[in-house]
Amino acid sequence: MSTQYSDLQLDALRELANIGSGTASTALSSMLGRSVDISVPNAIVLPMPEAVGTIGNAEDDVTGIVLGVLGDMEATVLLLVSPRHAALMCGMLGVPADSELGESALLEIGNIVGTSYINALAGMTGMSIEPTPPSIATDMLAAIVESVLATRAAAGDVALLLDSDLVVEGEDCSVSFLLVPDQGGVEQLLARLGL
Amino acid sequence: MVRMGELAASAGSADVLVALGLGSCIGLALVDRRTGVAGLAHVVLPASEGHSAGQNRMKFADFAVPELIHRVVRLGGRKQKLEAVLVGGASMFAVSSGTLEVGQRNEAAVREQLEAQRIPVIAAETGGNRGRTIRVHLDDMRISVREAGGKEANVMTPQGALVGA
Repeated sequence: MSTQYSDLQLDALRELANIGSGTASTALSSMLGRSVDISVPNAIVLPMPEAVGTIGNAEDDVTGIVLGVLGDMEATVLLLVSPRHAALMCGMLGVPADSELGESALLEIGNIVGTSYINALAGMTGMSIEPTPPSIATDMLAAIVESVLATRAAAGDVALLLDSDLVVEGEDCSVSFLLVPDQGGVEQLLARLGL
Repeated sequence: MVRMGELAASAGSADVLVALGLGSCIGLALVDRRTGVAGLAHVVLPASEGHSAGQNRMKFADFAVPELIHRVVRLGGRKQKLEAVLVGGASMFAVSSGTLEVGQRNEAAVREQLEAQRIPVIAAETGGNRGRTIRVHLDDMRISVREAGGKEANVMTPQGALVGA
């Protein structure tokens, strides 16, 4: 099923991602006590083999925090943070990076930021969706991303990625944010928007 | 480079077939050590059943395994001499039960397909929770694996397997 989306649909999805990540940035900002900017989100439709390379270098180390989305739309929210940026964020929270405490701080950041994103989506679309508890892994970028894609997007040959960056002001520190819906989830999302 | 749902075979002695950062996916290498032909598939899901037709079926174990055998044999590999090396099938995230299953189910499905075709698995680096990269070096008929944060190590050389199956 090589579903193609129209420009209008992609614009609408981008706008959803924009509002969702706006809410998420507020949540991150209040956790870190810093201003957080958001980049203009991307809505990218890609053939599956190209998805990993678009997100980053396959073998780069990265920390991924995943939350499942259950309910009217099935999806996964994936936050990706490079080790250096993860350490910076742990520093802002006053916990040592590369420790159990650091990991649980990042997990909690993922939880709060991801949940606020999902709640914003629910509010905008009127969908009844809720997050599952988060989990975290630090590993090769490709291994993390493909495992998410395998459970979500593999029913089709294309992956839809709604991608935005949260950038902590005054620090070279950012989190990238991906929403990876099932094929059925995308249609549900668009139907709710009347598209 | 063999990306998600892709496969490749080669008899070219300068080639290296590689699948970078396998998580729940399986990197399946088939080699005929004597004739120097090898193939690599990047399997994403265990079975095509229940999925719509008309899509890339090579991401499924039940299509990828027979197709990879076909490609390797077409380049001069002898089917009775083929040996398999499996890498990947990890569970990257502890809590998400969906992902956890996919890795294990992928491995089981690939092994089942290989058994049906009577191809022995001589070495495997599977399961656990680390991502892995597999490289099939055609020049010296060697297969190496690197785990996240680790060093590259051979799992097969022309003399045979160096790890269990």
